[in-house]
Amino acid sequence: MSVSRRKVLVWMGTAGLSTAFGRSAYSATNHLKGYPDSFGVLYDNMLCIGCRSCEAACNIVNALPPPARPFNDLSVLDSNRRTDPKAFMVINRYDHVENTKSPLHQRIGCNHCLEPACASSCFVRAYTKTKTGAVSYDASVCVGCRYCMIACPFDIPTFEYDKALAPRIRKCTMCYPRLIEGKLPGCVVACPTQALTFGKRTDLIKMARERIRKRPDRYVDHIYGQHEMGGTSWLYLSGDPFKEMGMREDLGITPAPEMTKRALGAVPIVAGIWPVLLTGIYAMTKRKEKIAKEEQEKAIAMALDQAKAEAESKIAEALAKAKKEKEAAIEKEVKKALEKTTGTQAKEDA
Amino acid sequence: MEMQTLKKIKELTATVMVTALLLIFMFSSSIVDGRQIKSTTEGCCRPDVLIIDSAKIFGDLERQPVLFFHDKHTDALEKKDKDCRTCHLSEKDRLSPKFKRFNDAGRQEVMDIYHSGCMGCHTEMYAEKDKTGPVEICGECHRDKVKVQSSRQPMGFDQSLHFRHLKATGDKCERCHHEYDEKTKKLFYAEGKEGTCRYCHMAEAEKNRIPMRVASHLFCIDCHRKTRASGKAKNKIAGPVKCAGCHDFDKQQLIKKVKDVPRIKRKQPDVVLIRAAGKGTSGKTSGGQMNPVPMDHKAHEKYNDTCRACHHESLDSCSECHTLAGTKEGKDVKLERAMHQIGTTKSCIGCHELRYGDKKCAGCHAFIQNGQKQSKLSCFRCHMESLQPDTEAVQQPEAVASGLLGSRKALAGTYADEDIPEKIIIGELIYEYEPVGFPHKKIIDSLLQNIKDSQLTNYFHSEKGVICQACHHNSPISKKPPRCVSCHGKTFDEANLLRPGLQAAYHRQCMGCHKEMSIEKPKSTECNDCHKATGKSRLYD
Amino acid sequence: MPKEATTANRSFSNSFGYAAEELSKTFLSPLGIVAGIIVILGLIITVLRFTGGLAAVTNLSDYNPWGIWIGFDLLTGVALAAGGFVTSAAVYIFGMKKYHSAVRPAVLTGFLGYVLVVVALHYDVGRPWRLPYPFILQQGTTSILFEVGACVALYLTVLFLEFCPAALEWLGLKKVRDLVIKLTMVLTIFGVILSTLHQSSLGALFLIARSKLHPLWYSSYLPVFFFISSIIAGLSMVIFESTLSHRYFLHKMDAAHLDEREGVTLGFGKAASFVLAGYFIVKVIGISEGNHWHLLATPYGIWFLVELFVFVALPCYLYAIGTRDKNQRLIKFTAVWTVLGVVLNRLNVSLVAFNWHLPAADRYFPHWMEIAISIFLVTVGIIAFRVIVSVMPIFYEHPDFRKNH
Repeated sequence: MSVSRRKVLVWMGTAGLSTAFGRSAYSATNHLKGYPDSFGVLYDNMLCIGCRSCEAACNIVNALPPPARPFNDLSVLDSNRRTDPKAFMVINRYDHVENTKSPLHQRIGCNHCLEPACASSCFVRAYTKTKTGAVSYDASVCVGCRYCMIACPFDIPTFEYDKALAPRIRKCTMCYPRLIEGKLPGCVVACPTQALTFGKRTDLIKMARERIRKRPDRYVDHIYGQHEMGGTSWLYLSGDPFKEMGMREDLGITPAPEMTKRALGAVPIVAGIWPVLLTGIYAMTKRKEKIAKEEQEKAIAMALDQAKAEAESKIAEALAKAKKEKEAAIEKEVKKALEKTTGTQAKEDA
Repeated sequence: MEMQTLKKIKELTATVMVTALLLIFMFSSSIVDGRQIKSTTEGCCRPDVLIIDSAKIFGDLERQPVLFFHDKHTDALEKKDKDCRTCHLSEKDRLSPKFKRFNDAGRQEVMDIYHSGCMGCHTEMYAEKDKTGPVEICGECHRDKVKVQSSRQPMGFDQSLHFRHLKATGDKCERCHHEYDEKTKKLFYAEGKEGTCRYCHMAEAEKNRIPMRVASHLFCIDCHRKTRASGKAKNKIAGPVKCAGCHDFDKQQLIKKVKDVPRIKRKQPDVVLIRAAGKGTSGKTSGGQMNPVPMDHKAHEKYNDTCRACHHESLDSCSECHTLAGTKEGKDVKLERAMHQIGTTKSCIGCHELRYGDKKCAGCHAFIQNGQKQSKLSCFRCHMESLQPDTEAVQQPEAVASGLLGSRKALAGTYADEDIPEKIIIGELIYEYEPVGFPHKKIIDSLLQNIKDSQLTNYFHSEKGVICQACHHNSPISKKPPRCVSCHGKTFDEANLLRPGLQAAYHRQCMGCHKEMSIEKPKSTECNDCHKATGKSRLYD
Repeated sequence: MPKEATTANRSFSNSFGYAAEELSKTFLSPLGIVAGIIVILGLIITVLRFTGGLAAVTNLSDYNPWGIWIGFDLLTGVALAAGGFVTSAAVYIFGMKKYHSAVRPAVLTGFLGYVLVVVALHYDVGRPWRLPYPFILQQGTTSILFEVGACVALYLTVLFLEFCPAALEWLGLKKVRDLVIKLTMVLTIFGVILSTLHQSSLGALFLIARSKLHPLWYSSYLPVFFFISSIIAGLSMVIFESTLSHRYFLHKMDAAHLDEREGVTLGFGKAASFVLAGYFIVKVIGISEGNHWHLLATPYGIWFLVELFVFVALPCYLYAIGTRDKNQRLIKFTAVWTVLGVVLNRLNVSLVAFNWHLPAADRYFPHWMEIAISIFLVTVGIIAFRVIVSVMPIFYEHPDFRKNH
């Protein structure tokens, strides 16, 4: 199959067009600072008394089923838990603390990252980072592939594995429906000591800095969530190192979308170069074959010619040789006849 | 036929491989996690662990330093009625702290002394069929991995111990206190100049001064040993000779503590007037000083276990080294810093601030920011205005100080009972819970109870209305302080970021105080301890 | 001598009877009975899956959302089905005509492989009927998974079209078949592009989970690793499948197939040796990129070295020896070993190195029902393969269409 000029042009055009699709590879980076007035929540475990009122409020607001053990049963805190389909947010207690006399607590739940890994990884755009700062989830398009659970560095999304036909991902919504009505998230309303403080993310950072400045002996000098994974809307202050509160300190500050930027950027390049490369190889292969074929034919023709010429010279030689022999034979016969005649004459004379 | 067997072998190999892989996979998922496993060997701890690395002054060590358990050896020798001189050479009745030598001559010599000394003795004991230490193999002493940790607690000499030693020596200060004459190269007793050993004997050896460690061991243990040997010890009790006796935590708890130690007689002042000495400035600046500060020195002597808490370098007055501008002897620490620096016991205010952490005080003081700059008027609490002229202060400081101290008013309590509400009904937020019956007067009475025993707390809370300030904060001292609801409102107030909402203000104040003062009831997580639930919830609206 | 296929006994209607005959022969053999049990069990578990949810048949948890249905059925399945694009690229783009007989079996293996991958996906996702949503409703173009889905869907179409001529020949639809044959070149090139994209993107899926993958397996070169190992897997699978087919379907093979067979083994073995060498080097570059040398001394490091030396370096060496000595048996053995190595690599990335930092109580091991479904799907694939090669011109050239080559 030969490749016509037109075909090459069409292919190149397709390749070029394919590079036009897909957003610029640079848009998913550069550490977005979030929407300007987006909200956040600051959790300060030096103020948290571990009463679980926030968990109870979350349960009510999200119409979750009542738990096996009631929320005022604080022995639930004896073992550390993670989020599950019936608990969007859990409080964990840590007993062996250095800083204060009493145990410290930690809140585990969706941190509503500024550049969420779940939103980046969802292939059906079921997650949205809203202007309020909340990361919302749309169950009406979710296919249930659970890639968001792989992507989330905090291991937050939970899946309703026991539902056969309509399993959903479940996670803290930052009470987005309440936020757009101007109300506060349920957990914030319920917390008696305002260990959960709501406000603009920028204001919360100032507040957290001020708390650390005022009591440097009480707080670890770090606002968790200010930069982790590119920044989160939920911020944390702690009296003990975060590592001991079950919060990973090795996540780095690179936002998740940045990690897949290069691989995604390679797609249009491959789609652009491969057709040219492969067609080129094919064309070169074909050309090589053609040239090989031509050379083969030429060699055969040459060989035939040579054979023909050889044969002809052999025949000419043979003919010449035959002619010579014939002449020689004639001469011999003539000579013989002449001798015979001369002999008879001599006898008659005597 | 051959094909069949080959085929069978192939199939068998395939099955075995797949099974093996499956098994490997099964176990790989439960593989021990890749992080380095740090073995926390609790192979514990002894107070008598010494590290023998004497040769290191001659260069890098070839082998690991040896861990030596001193008490183990003294016990073993005791059983054989041998004493310190088995290992410690004596010269003029003083024992050398080094093992079988007086000084370190050279690397090889030191090594030989240890090797022949240690292994020689061990060999002897082994021959006598006693349990003994390593004899030949290098690695048994020079161990790579050490499992035993030292639990040695530092030993201190506090007022109680000092008193007991006074009694034991019959009030003879010269038994222990000495100074060194460089000319005669002898120790001599300087009366009136006694101080703690640590004023001269530092952690490291200095010119003509042995380090504290050597000094204390040579001196103390020597005396204890001799006392025991002489049999003159009262009730056969002399001080410890073994490591554990001083350095073991449990044994330290057993040391008898004398209550109400009589005052050390060192001709120290009863009261002091703290003012700048005038030294250290160029002398060219003219002008006066701030009001001097009277201090009850006698009372302060009881507040600490040692004099060193304040007299950290010498028993002289602070202003000798800490002048207004600072001196080299005082390491350029000015008088202001020496008196006021927070975070150290050496300064007045620093030590006072430490009292905030006390359970009785923390309820209020935990909320006051560290080192918060007090109002400028509070300086006058210490820098008291004197009726005497300044010259008087210079000439007769003690009299002036006594006068000022005497003029201080003791705690006058607080406002009159009629002015303090007995019980306050807090009914600002009543939806989910009923109003709180707050026992206002009861709390104030218990706070006053906490304050009244200490001169410090008495004085600093002597102004009426000061103790109200912990709860009625961010407002002037007054008989009619503002209510919480005057300032605290919404949970999220953009205009006042740092101000908690009303609910949080109540809870943080109450719960915070209870937590700091370790008050068990009411319990923070038991809402009903303070207010009864109504059954309604704001979240349902 | 193999029986020559004649038009008489390969007509469409006859074929059904023939197929039924083949199937009945299959099922009545001991292997057939085992296969039958697997299929029945699989169907039961399928019902359980769609009535009781994933919790009823898997050990998946919130910490481990992807199990062997993704790790093996999807990741490994796609890698092992790579023989299609590798073989057709070798024959049509690089012009290596002596491997021509290997194209159709490889394409069939690839096609069935991808079909099974898609079927397995239907078991794994929560709402499989919503799988078209990312294409028709909302496109999550920031997601690598979107790209995987789009490329796999397109590639499945490509494979179907590449497989079509065999089916069309069997059906006797000459005109359609000739039209499809004309697309071969375009399909091959498109197939290589799509394969490059989705094979590498399957590796890129784990780029976003940097904090959850063991550093020895995590690298920004993961897409490259997956792509190269897919080529290796494809080459080895062609050899492996040819070995099995020669044992069980010898009577279906024509002269060309039998003649070229040894050349295919040698040629593909040689290629695999080269690519394995390249893969080894690239993996070492990956370790040095992250400066993870010290991790090799840990238990996970030792496991990584096992994967690298026993399953990459060793087959590379064995392939080289086999090619040099023209040792068919050694190459065939190495092909199986290599395939196992690729399986191991995919499982290592998705199940062993993933969540390595979690305590043992939170780690994952498949439920027996998950393993049963995976075996079920592979069995169905083998059965389909068997049926198709029995009736369609895969191992031989259809006499009516022979002249078109």
